[in-house]
Amino acid sequence: MARTSVVKRTNSFYWLLLTPSLLFLTAFLVVPFIMLIVLSFREVDSLLNVLPTYSLSHYTEVFTSGIYLNTIQSSLGVALLTTVICTLLAYPAAYLLVRTERPALRTLFYILLISPLLTSVVIRTFAWIVILAQNGLLNELLMNLHLIDKPLSMLWSMNAVVIAYVQVMLPFAVLPIATSMGEIQPKLRQASMSLGAGRVRTFFTVTLPLTLPGMLSGAAIVFSLAAGSYITPLLVGGRLQPLLPLAIYQQAVQVFNMPFAAALSVTLLIMVILVVLLLGWISKRWEARLRD
Amino acid sequence: MSGIHIDDVSRVFGDFTALEQVQLQVREGEFFSLLGPSGCGKTTLLNMIAGFLDPTTGRIMIGERDVTDLPPYRRGLGIVFQDYALFPHLTVFQNVAYGLKVRKLSKSEVKRRVDEALALVQLSSMAERRPHQLSGGQRQRVAIARALAIEPSVLLLDEPLSNLDAKLRKDMQTELKTIQRRTGITTILVTHDQEEALSLSDRIGILGHGRLQQVGTPLEVYRQPANRFVADFIGQVNLFRTEGVPFERVERYGRYYADDYETEAGTSLILETAAAPSETTGTFMLRPERIRIGDGGSTGINQVNAVIRHVSYAGDQVRLLVTLAGKGELIAVAPDPVFPVLPQAGDSVQLYWDAADVIPLPTEGV
Amino acid sequence: MTDSNKRLPNGSDPKPKSGRRRVRRKWSLLTTLVWTAGIGVYLFLVAPMFVIFLSAFSPTEYPTFPPSSVSFRWFTALFTNSDWGEALRVSLILLLIVTPLTVILGTAAAYALGRLKFRGREAIRSFMLSPLMIPQVVLGIALLYEFTSLGLINTLTSLVIGHMVIAFPFVVRTVSVSVSSLDPKLESASMSLGAGRWTTFRKITLPLIKPGIIAGTVFSVVESFGEVSISLFVSSPGNITVPVRIFNYIDQTFDPSVNAISVLFIAVAVVAMIIIDRAVGLTKVL
Repeated sequence: MARTSVVKRTNSFYWLLLTPSLLFLTAFLVVPFIMLIVLSFREVDSLLNVLPTYSLSHYTEVFTSGIYLNTIQSSLGVALLTTVICTLLAYPAAYLLVRTERPALRTLFYILLISPLLTSVVIRTFAWIVILAQNGLLNELLMNLHLIDKPLSMLWSMNAVVIAYVQVMLPFAVLPIATSMGEIQPKLRQASMSLGAGRVRTFFTVTLPLTLPGMLSGAAIVFSLAAGSYITPLLVGGRLQPLLPLAIYQQAVQVFNMPFAAALSVTLLIMVILVVLLLGWISKRWEARLRD
Repeated sequence: MSGIHIDDVSRVFGDFTALEQVQLQVREGEFFSLLGPSGCGKTTLLNMIAGFLDPTTGRIMIGERDVTDLPPYRRGLGIVFQDYALFPHLTVFQNVAYGLKVRKLSKSEVKRRVDEALALVQLSSMAERRPHQLSGGQRQRVAIARALAIEPSVLLLDEPLSNLDAKLRKDMQTELKTIQRRTGITTILVTHDQEEALSLSDRIGILGHGRLQQVGTPLEVYRQPANRFVADFIGQVNLFRTEGVPFERVERYGRYYADDYETEAGTSLILETAAAPSETTGTFMLRPERIRIGDGGSTGINQVNAVIRHVSYAGDQVRLLVTLAGKGELIAVAPDPVFPVLPQAGDSVQLYWDAADVIPLPTEGV
Repeated sequence: MTDSNKRLPNGSDPKPKSGRRRVRRKWSLLTTLVWTAGIGVYLFLVAPMFVIFLSAFSPTEYPTFPPSSVSFRWFTALFTNSDWGEALRVSLILLLIVTPLTVILGTAAAYALGRLKFRGREAIRSFMLSPLMIPQVVLGIALLYEFTSLGLINTLTSLVIGHMVIAFPFVVRTVSVSVSSLDPKLESASMSLGAGRWTTFRKITLPLIKPGIIAGTVFSVVESFGEVSISLFVSSPGNITVPVRIFNYIDQTFDPSVNAISVLFIAVAVVAMIIIDRAVGLTKVL
């Protein structure tokens, strides 16, 4: 009996440490989201004043208006495209990180990988403006090389958004893949080769399946970041791109239709949660096959 | 089925020579063991045979084929890895089928050969399990089945039993030997476990310090070690250093002074050997189990009075560490029923041995 | 055992004597392709940083490559514009408040989560890490609405809270790594020697999870200093942080003095990386 009470006292000490964080996150993460959800059902008058009545009108507008359906669709498309490109690019990068035998080179790769995470998103986005602008670095370079006659228009497009997204979010895809790649015993690849599989086949039958959990967790982060950022698309894509985060920003900051912005936010949030849960579910199912 | 010819193979890592000019011929259908302590280069040699590592110099032939420049996936070897290296995401069936699918065999052919391989290792009922659902011994057998399913010309076993507990290891040794006999496949076993090597192999190659120290049958390497390294590594051994020149010859026997050992009279221990004396031999070995308890006829040759320092009883045998009255220590091993009552540390004991058991070791080598 | 002789074989010549040494084809076409692709990806990752440097020292508004000459005019512009000084002041005050609060909260939470065993622990961990994944625009708007309702909008408090929510998961994550590698038996040993819970925490636990706390602190500082998505919603004209000011400059007028201030952020990143490397090693973070 004495033992249980010691355990209990120890546990209450840990709970004491955990409580402030739980309270803080409840107050500034849970409560605002509940308020936002409630707000999304509030009606507005013609001057966009919030009325005390509730209805589904904002959601009806979101899911019936062609503009917003198109916005949802292209948001989903941009986020998925970013995720796919990041995942594809992440494999060679992770491969180099894991396989290089020189410690100095590995450190350099880590520096290159982590430095974007440590630089503000405005800075990185700004760099892309400098690169992609009409009189920017890339056009200048291409003209000097006589590859083009007049500047290409690259900024203010969805392509610019995706390029900037990929650069900003790539580390989140590389790191988990590199981690799971590093955990694969070299013997598994050797076993595959001793059985007659070449390197490409070994990659697809051994490395790829075993890095799937890392790939999916990276993909989940990249997708949710790509679906929910508004700074990058605002600066390199322009305000008019049909993207949910931009629409939300506009409704909240320029139109001041907070309930409608809330409804769009809830839609975006659910979209992200669904995709993240789906990826997590696949990953769980897969890992269950590997472990007890 | 083919033999392996390792021709003058060396491997250098930076400044470190892991393996130096190894010359080795493994015969067709032979069960050959590469035995050595950790760091002796046996894994390096295995990796080069398998193709995971390039030799710095030399050639490796499998049968008539020079495989030195072939990547591992073109060598057609079956490898059983130390920790099995089963693909965790594939079932037992898929693991065994892996190499067959790579070879683009028809579905029915794959099924037939997987069933056959699983039957060989008595795991037919486990085909749909995944590796994590199997015990260590079962994983081991899947690994063997997977390696054999591709009908390799040579089977490489890299410390395959080291992760199993003692009893299971014995069972698996028997099973390995049975499978090898039944398939007749040329097999190379890499191990640091001398007992495993001695009991399983047709021949053993002993590696030490990056060199092949001796190649021979288990009997040869145990009874006639090529040098001190081999004598010391395989089994326990008492070593005597002498000046190398016999002080007396009696018929075909030579009598030497073992300078490291002193009797109570303050003189060097007199050693008699049945081997033809030679001017170069400086070291003799005597296996502990060849030492007998008793007075041996009081000739003063090949016998000592000693004091027991330590006794350890292992059930089937008693191991004694004894100190000679003058100087020097000996290890003696006696089968269990020799002593009616276990001796105690501090007891006096008389030991003797036959001249035929005093084996000269060549001075060359280490 | 009798004396064993473990000398190296005839220690003189470690190199094999046989002269036939092959030059192996180490680089296959496949390896070359993968390495080219990988290095391309790393160049792509670092290109923007490189461009920032180029721009900051470029005499023209848009940098040219190769650079024609070196100029410090954007740095001069930076110091003559009082807006930047004011923004920097706000950012630094925020750092001084946000960092200690977040690190204490996050460390306590990560430690408790590492030690408590209960059903739903992983759910709570995911909840604590969730601000990393929640769409920033949604978090921003939710906090904007809550702060407006509470009357906190246009105060520094709203920025402090917003930054804490963003930085908190980073601290939890880095400290959790340190906690999970800390053997609970060490704490049991300390307590069995008569040390109380707090003494044990201070003398045993804290020193051993210090690397994680340092890394967490660095991440907290970097995240807070560079935060813009939430700040943009909850900051007021009186409380403009450096990243928000940069955003405004880029969004409204293209002011090349942004070039110069960007170098400051890269410097912060470099210092952060050095500290992380010293504390936990770059390869172990995240």
